[in-house]
Amino acid sequence: MGNSTALAMVKEGLPAKIIEIVERSPRRVYVYIAPDEILDAARFMFEQCGGRLATVSGIDTRSGIELVYHWMFPKDHQFIMIKTKVKKPFPEIDSIGRFLPAANWIEREIHDLFGVTFRGHPDFRRLLLADSWPEGVHPYLRDVRFEEFQP
Amino acid sequence: MKKTVLPLGPFHPLLEEAECYKLYVEGETVVDIDMRIGYMHRGIEKLSQSKTFDQVPFNVERICGICSTSHPIAYVNAVEDLAQIEIPERARHIRNIVCELERLESHLLWAGLAGHFIGYDTVFMWAWKYREPILDICELVFGNRNHYAMMKIGGVRRDIKEEDYPAINSMLDTVAAGAELFTGAVMDDPVIHARTKGVGILTKEDAIAYGTVGPTVRGSDIADDIRRDDPYAAYDMVDWNVVTYEGGDVFAKTAVRLLELFESVKIIRESLAKMRPGPIEAEVRTIPRGEGVGHAEAPRGEVFHYVRSDGSSSPVRHKVRAPSYVNIPSFKATCVGETIADVALITAAVDPCYCCTERMAVVDRRTDDVLVTGEELVRVSREKTKRIKADLGEQTPLDKLAHTLERERS
Repeated sequence: MGNSTALAMVKEGLPAKIIEIVERSPRRVYVYIAPDEILDAARFMFEQCGGRLATVSGIDTRSGIELVYHWMFPKDHQFIMIKTKVKKPFPEIDSIGRFLPAANWIEREIHDLFGVTFRGHPDFRRLLLADSWPEGVHPYLRDVRFEEFQP
Repeated sequence: MKKTVLPLGPFHPLLEEAECYKLYVEGETVVDIDMRIGYMHRGIEKLSQSKTFDQVPFNVERICGICSTSHPIAYVNAVEDLAQIEIPERARHIRNIVCELERLESHLLWAGLAGHFIGYDTVFMWAWKYREPILDICELVFGNRNHYAMMKIGGVRRDIKEEDYPAINSMLDTVAAGAELFTGAVMDDPVIHARTKGVGILTKEDAIAYGTVGPTVRGSDIADDIRRDDPYAAYDMVDWNVVTYEGGDVFAKTAVRLLELFESVKIIRESLAKMRPGPIEAEVRTIPRGEGVGHAEAPRGEVFHYVRSDGSSSPVRHKVRAPSYVNIPSFKATCVGETIADVALITAAVDPCYCCTERMAVVDRRTDDVLVTGEELVRVSREKTKRIKADLGEQTPLDKLAHTLERERS
């Protein structure tokens, strides 16, 4: 790791094309990348920069599901958010849970709630929703009509 | 050997979170563990989207019954990050005090339950005896023993009155003295060593890979503490240390929690001394468009909140991640290879929903017959301690201390 901060390393060597970088404050940085580069970026953040994946947030927007990977860097007192957006109606992205156990549960949760498929996930079962919950209904999507089905 | 499945959970009336663990056992040894959550999915994140920014602290305060102030403070941190709000110094110190009182109370609760579980009821009654004055102070200062409702965006809701300072300080003296005795006895107790040392080891590599937080990761000798790494409230204005311990076993996690009691006492004392009269909240008019990340070091580890606003009066997205969500998956690394009598203790060492373990039952996979009930598993664990005690043949430091206390009382 040397002396350089995580942010400097990301600017220098993130193995993904940075679409936009927003430094809202010294402690909070948002980095936008394309979804197909997420696996390499995550490996870099974990293995090279020594980040801890706090969690992943899914957000349903009009144009797709936004995924925010929150990486915490305790030594640099910094949070770096890797953001990407996957297209609806069949959102898909590479799973980072295949090499990082910390991402295992949250990817399953995002699949339950937002319907994002994580390619190559080691154990892609339901996590949050009940077994009796209907297939294909993802409750955190904005266009779900709860009147139409009985859970 | 025949492999059996042993389900733990999912429901118990005392649980704040319900979970189902399936232990795959061969004889006494656990060979695999599978976890399933979601039995108590309350849709808190979705609910937040229908509340105004002001109402959300009330909502998230009810996520957890023990670390009830950690969620609101993480949330207000997130909103204050979003809107770039500076809060007054007095409010920051008050936040410190609320959070640390909660940590004291929560760590003692855990110590008591763990003691009960390994068959040391003295530890249980004792830890809870010292927990009581803390709750009394909470009631005096915040108006409630739990769910303090102190956090609001821009500051805190209630001031701490100057006339309450002596009561808080004298409570801290009582608790510190009690913790001193207690920690000394537990750390030297040969039976506790036998039950907890080398049991359920979480290696440094696993701790990093699973992204564990709080006393769980600090017990693996990794100094990861949000209070120092991303200071909020007034943690950067007081002098304290991050407690770590080597080993990664149940003993190390216990030691971290016990030693943190003293740091908490130190922080509260210092914040009380440094507090100057002044405003306790900043004026907040609107929450602009944008996003904010806030986190806080709860007694069990990092609580993480992410808030996004579109400029309206309620959040468009509010993501919550509680510490157990990342700590519980690490059971896969810690439980495999251990015996059933120890698994209950290992899972408890992370401080998740403890009561789960009381609903364990051993089921034969082929016939689904219940072979052992939950109470029996607690009994197995307690008996193991009894055996160790009998082998030892002499009084342990904890027993001696219990006798002294008994004599003092009579």
